[in-house]
Amino acid sequence: MTTNEAVEVMARVLAPYIGDTMARSATAAHCQKLGIEAGTVSHEQLEALLGKLGGGLNIFLGRDRSASVIAEARSALAAREGSQ
Amino acid sequence: MNGHDRRSALPWLVLGLAAALYAGWATFPASGLYARWLTPHRLLVIASTLKLVYLLAGAAWAFQCRDRLEAANPARPAWFLLSLGLLSTFVGQLSLAPFQLTRNETPFPSVADIWYVLSYPLLIAALVVLLKAYREAGFPTGSVAERAAILAGIGVIAAIVAVPILRPVAGVEGALLDRILTVAYPVLDLVLLMPLALLLRVALRLRGSHAGEVWLLLLGGFVFLCAGDILFAYFQSLGARHLDPVVHATYILSYGLIAGGAHRQLELLQA
Repeated sequence: MTTNEAVEVMARVLAPYIGDTMARSATAAHCQKLGIEAGTVSHEQLEALLGKLGGGLNIFLGRDRSASVIAEARSALAAREGSQ
Repeated sequence: MNGHDRRSALPWLVLGLAAALYAGWATFPASGLYARWLTPHRLLVIASTLKLVYLLAGAAWAFQCRDRLEAANPARPAWFLLSLGLLSTFVGQLSLAPFQLTRNETPFPSVADIWYVLSYPLLIAALVVLLKAYREAGFPTGSVAERAAILAGIGVIAAIVAVPILRPVAGVEGALLDRILTVAYPVLDLVLLMPLALLLRVALRLRGSHAGEVWLLLLGGFVFLCAGDILFAYFQSLGARHLDPVVHATYILSYGLIAGGAHRQLELLQA
């Protein structure tokens, strides 16, 4: 899966909670901090990215709800990967 | 519209009707409705009651938000501070209630002002803590230079807009404490606007989302609070009695929207 595809999937899951603009900008900012560049993204990098996004979501949704949204994003990423 | 939607819409309908009631008073004060039925004393009682209800509900909901967040959550202290700020305003409003309900008067200055003034550092601290939490969580709050530019912009706007607005209020003769307090509220609002302006950057990116709704309501509430304080300064210092209905409307909208924001956040945490 490419970084752009992963960002697209994550933004779609996060958008109802924090908005499409914030979902994309936060994901892009974390990618930059984690050194995730354009091209293929590894499973470890995706997990690190989900961890960072989950930490941010905590502020708005609390730990439990944030964990369920991140699980939803993980499933969506797996589904996307499976369809390829 | 199902039962849940109707229940959700009812508080907003009440808030809208309340604002319309006071807008009507401001526009047609001599009409039969306001001369015979909704007399100034009755409207003062309604305003006092609504403010108390919204402030207490807002404080309770903000505290429940704090309670729902885990101990290490950086937003938890912010909701606690917001709850305390609203509670402090509630106590101030409560101490005015006996005068408003029984004597149709609002003493100024009074013990209520201690509570009102105390609420500002709490509300400002709540916003600063949230701002810090967003920044640490990696949400785009801007670089140091961008934040400094926003704050400088607010400072310039304050100098251009607020100083001319407040000059006639500060220049009025009267007891020193009255004058200090009348100017202090809008000045505290300007300080409150600083973190609000920085948070607006985050809030705009949240638009169209559940968290965006929370911020739309909170920001709207704080803007009405600032407007209410400036109008109150004119009403109190310059004897602009015709502003009384508008002052009530802005405070009711402010407290109602902030309480609504806290309630929406609680719904988000409970879902």
